[in-house]
Amino acid sequence: MKNKSQILGVFNDPDVVSTAVDELLRNNIPIKDVFSPFPLEHVWKKLNMKTRIPYATFLYGVLGTVATFAFLYWSSVINYPLIFGGKPTDSLSFVIIMFVLAILSGVIFTLATYLIREKLWPGKVVNLPDPRSTDDKFVIVIEKDMDMDEATVRQIDELLKKSGATEVNMSNV
Amino acid sequence: MDKKLYVSRSFKNIMIVLIILGLAAVATGFITGATTRTWANLLLENFFFLSITLGALFWMAIQAVTNSGWSAAFVRVPQAMVSYLIVAAILWIVLFFGIPNLFLWARHGADLHDAALAHKSPYLNVPFFIIRITVFFVLWIFLVWRIRKLSQKEDQIGGMVSFNKIELLSKVFIFVLAISFVFVGIDWLMSLDAHWFSTLFAVKFFISAFYHGSAFILGAVIILNKLGYFPFLNKDHLHNFSKYIFMLSIMWGYMWFVQYLLIWFGNIPEETVYFHMRRVEGFQGFFYAEIFINWLFPFLFLMWNRLAKNANALLITVAVLFVGQWIEIYNAIIAETVHKVVFGYLEIGVFVGFAGLFLLIGAISLSKHPMVARNHPYLEESFSLEDYKDKY
Repeated sequence: MKNKSQILGVFNDPDVVSTAVDELLRNNIPIKDVFSPFPLEHVWKKLNMKTRIPYATFLYGVLGTVATFAFLYWSSVINYPLIFGGKPTDSLSFVIIMFVLAILSGVIFTLATYLIREKLWPGKVVNLPDPRSTDDKFVIVIEKDMDMDEATVRQIDELLKKSGATEVNMSNV
Repeated sequence: MDKKLYVSRSFKNIMIVLIILGLAAVATGFITGATTRTWANLLLENFFFLSITLGALFWMAIQAVTNSGWSAAFVRVPQAMVSYLIVAAILWIVLFFGIPNLFLWARHGADLHDAALAHKSPYLNVPFFIIRITVFFVLWIFLVWRIRKLSQKEDQIGGMVSFNKIELLSKVFIFVLAISFVFVGIDWLMSLDAHWFSTLFAVKFFISAFYHGSAFILGAVIILNKLGYFPFLNKDHLHNFSKYIFMLSIMWGYMWFVQYLLIWFGNIPEETVYFHMRRVEGFQGFFYAEIFINWLFPFLFLMWNRLAKNANALLITVAVLFVGQWIEIYNAIIAETVHKVVFGYLEIGVFVGFAGLFLLIGAISLSKHPMVARNHPYLEESFSLEDYKDKY
């Protein structure tokens, strides 16, 4: 079983968070996550956090296009080839419906994937390490392993304090 | 920070040689009797460089109106193109002499036997035609010249006064350009075939101008960066620039397709004649090249995040897009005036001449003032934090 204990460094200022992240990375302390009231793009870049969700979106878009084309082709060429206005049955106007449904499928399935992966649903109360990170605090989360000794914990604690954390807490979330 | 562009003697000489080549091509064209083709090429290049200039200035106005911070360091590049706009106005006067040669409706007595042309003659007549373009040029130059002057004044005095005035003038400029450029497209490209009309034609060329104008700014910024200017240029700037190109490639493809689809679906001979001429009668290559180069290539190429931030990949995209825009305007003009595919010394020569003039004027104009607007309120936001501390 994994111990889920975490060390939280709470900050007041986004710029201080950015330098604190630098300081922690320089000492080879793995940062699990940074919570902030608004996106801090340069911090993401430092943490080298990657997401695969754009690939999922691309896949859903392609699938939506192909599925729409298949349905249009089946319905208006194979199953019920009705000629109107002298146009061929496999018509150029498919493109617009394919385009629009590619966007729809991309958006809806990406949202669904995101919600499922993050285990979110309407009305869920999210367990934040520190709920003040949705308000005016910036929180650096460092995972505390079972086998982490007291000395390392104290070192992390000191590093956070030294780089400007207003408080350092423990959390079990 | 107040570094100015240094324009070397050899650069000026090369550009002057190119201009002379262009003049020689035009002279040869007139002497050998290819009059219509020469006028058509002059119109093509005039329109090409005018739309790049106006597109770039539109881009600049968008940055001011949206209060964009990231682009604050690059506004001098489009501002330098104001000088070319003045040159373009002079070159346009030359074009007035070619009107009877290019436009069927402007020929003497054209509307006597043609009910459609007679019906359109209150709008399509030579005096009104010239007045329109003159008024547009005066308005454009007045507005962007004011913006440029205000930005230079900001360098001296700082503060928010110039910034707020630029924002207001940019709003006016966007409004004026949106209306006037539609008429420029209708007048100088669509009325080449005065019997044909499409309500989406001018919008497509407006999007095209914005598209290729922002591509030009990106190309200029990357090249200047390679020459050692804009040392703070980073991947985020490049990504923001390429977002414009990516977004506009979709927009351009949308406009092209909407126009084509409506005409295809309506299937009225008066309308389909335009695409019939281009798709069937010898212009197939240019017809397909136009859509694939301008829409599909940037759309697929810049979809890769890594390429969208890579300076060399973006430089290739920009170069390809210039070819694409040339083909787009070529398709609009040559099919109506020369009626067959022509590509020779005249096409290359006139393009080279105009490109030389455009680059020379732009470079000289850029070298007159500091490359970075020193007191722009958003300048700090445009640099990344480390760069700002290290270098300035």
